[in-house]
Amino acid sequence: MTLSKDHIGGLVFLGLSAAYGHYAGDILLLPGDEYEPFHAQTVPNFLAAMGGFLSILLLLTADRDGKNGLSLTGYDFALVAKLLVLVVLFGLALEWVGFLLATVIFLIGGYWLLGVRKVKTLLVASVPFAVGIWFSLTQLLDIYLAPGQLISQIFGG
Amino acid sequence: MLDGIMTGLTTAVMPFNLMMVVVGCFAGTFIGMLPGLGPISAVALMIPITYGLDPSSGIILMAGVYYGAVFGGSTSSILINAPGCASTVVTSFDGYPLAQQKQAGKALALAAYSSFTGGTVGAIVLLFAAPALASVSLSFQSSDYFALMILGLTAVAAFSGKGQVIKALIMTIFGLMIATVGTDVTSGTTRFTFGSVDLIDGISFLLLAMATFALTEVVMTVLKGQHREEEQQMDMSQLGSMKLSKEEVKHVAPTIARSSVFGFIVGVLPGAGATIASFLAYGLERNLASAKEKLKFGKGALRGLAAPESANNAASTGSFVPLLTLGIPGSGTTAIMLGALIAYGIQPGPRLFIDNPDVFWSVIISMYFGNLVLLILNLPLIPYISRLLVIPRPILIPLILFFSITGVYLVSFNTFDIHMMAIITVIAIFLKLLEFPMAPMLLGFILGGLMENNLSRALTISDGSFSFLWERPLSLGIVITAVLVLVIPPLSEYWKSRRQVATKKDPETAISEG
Repeated sequence: MTLSKDHIGGLVFLGLSAAYGHYAGDILLLPGDEYEPFHAQTVPNFLAAMGGFLSILLLLTADRDGKNGLSLTGYDFALVAKLLVLVVLFGLALEWVGFLLATVIFLIGGYWLLGVRKVKTLLVASVPFAVGIWFSLTQLLDIYLAPGQLISQIFGG
Repeated sequence: MLDGIMTGLTTAVMPFNLMMVVVGCFAGTFIGMLPGLGPISAVALMIPITYGLDPSSGIILMAGVYYGAVFGGSTSSILINAPGCASTVVTSFDGYPLAQQKQAGKALALAAYSSFTGGTVGAIVLLFAAPALASVSLSFQSSDYFALMILGLTAVAAFSGKGQVIKALIMTIFGLMIATVGTDVTSGTTRFTFGSVDLIDGISFLLLAMATFALTEVVMTVLKGQHREEEQQMDMSQLGSMKLSKEEVKHVAPTIARSSVFGFIVGVLPGAGATIASFLAYGLERNLASAKEKLKFGKGALRGLAAPESANNAASTGSFVPLLTLGIPGSGTTAIMLGALIAYGIQPGPRLFIDNPDVFWSVIISMYFGNLVLLILNLPLIPYISRLLVIPRPILIPLILFFSITGVYLVSFNTFDIHMMAIITVIAIFLKLLEFPMAPMLLGFILGGLMENNLSRALTISDGSFSFLWERPLSLGIVITAVLVLVIPPLSEYWKSRRQVATKKDPETAISEG
């Protein structure tokens, strides 16, 4: 029997429901709550049970002929991983170098990863855009954007 | 009601709100044209912008974007055979062949007129249907609300496609599970925070909507390598005339009228939405056509283009009925709007037209303006708007990513949210590869808190007994409907497959017996 998409999905959600149910038991109850018809664990316990039931139902009704198998060929996972790392780095850069520089770095990084190599395009499509957005937010909409820890340490502030 | 209409009209014609309709329609048209990005992503991208506006203006902007995106999807379906969203897939069946016959202008005009009629009919029916339904639902109690939310969730799951019901139900449960993360409002205890301070307030709706729709949809185009594809450019000089002859108008008028009413009714059903409406309207029109005309379907039939276009716009309007009157969204896009309304501190439902009449009526009135803007402004500008598609994907994709991320960051100013978005995107990609639908998850998440509150109240009133589900006739009626909605589609599928097996077996037995 080949594992189909439904089998994988069913197994994943069965595991998730079991873990969710396990941690639902850790939710602190107020004294006397256990005698109440409804408390903080009621819905999580029900959801864990329903999740488990539906996952098993999915596993039982899944195709067994292997037609609906999960094929990972033809997908550019490496590029997506790089883009998501760039998103995480953007979050870190916001804290350290501030909004303006983080935006420029993020956009140039994004264009580069997607195949843009011309330095002029990289700069023209990122710097004016970042400055424009930064100016609109800080000067027109009066939103305070922290300058970033590194910038503060170097220039003070 | 007249007072309400006047309130709505006064709010909707305020210059700022009119500008919101125009901006919304334009932004929606552009985003809707981009293959892969549909109305859900377009509306999700607008949420951070609307946070700075008053609720009426915010919801007017989102409604404009919704219409614009559906219209934009039709444009790319007709011009480059690349539907921007699922509800305009049918449009390409006859729209693209027309464009290939150098009649793109006529196809675009017909799509615009059909959309306008569908949307207008929808807006007029909504004007009368919504307050009537809302006044009926004023008598609803917490048990009825709980039952209604179950109906909303099961309907979305049931309409999610062949063989997808269990998956959609699982995703609904998953959404409800995510909604339990954070502080429990009734007891004040924290749940599933794992000691993280950032999770005490739970996961924000905006973050989840942006990560699962805007961010994931864009990343999926990269995953499939679509960003490398050369843009198919339509030669704008070959658009042809945008005029329709009298005979052509006469030929498609009954189709447009039929499909508008039909689309609205389908749109009102929770979970059905514009996609199902467009497919059903196309099927209906094809069945009604004469044998000779039937052959033209798929090769550039005007009726084949008018039917889905009228139906999907009427259905988009219809999906506002359950949202505005019951607080139950009729589609994924209205689910996002429901989340936005809750974020504004507005409780959608029967009390909306009493507590916030300006929001209720101005949305309905602005829908009409939205349709007008699409017809008068967008149609002549289509050749120019579609030029924006020339922006290369490697430039466009990082910009959309940037807007999605900063949209969330500029609301919370917490970089934890950006990291959370990346994690949710990875999970969403994995689930999409396994063909799990995302809309039921978001709906479960949005309705999760409300459901828990109503269940808690109903259980407390009925002394811990679930008898509230069958003691009140209204609750019982809604629960029975929910069960039927859930059970009928898989049962009919089962019967169909059994019948097919039986008809396959019959000839074999006949041969062996013969």
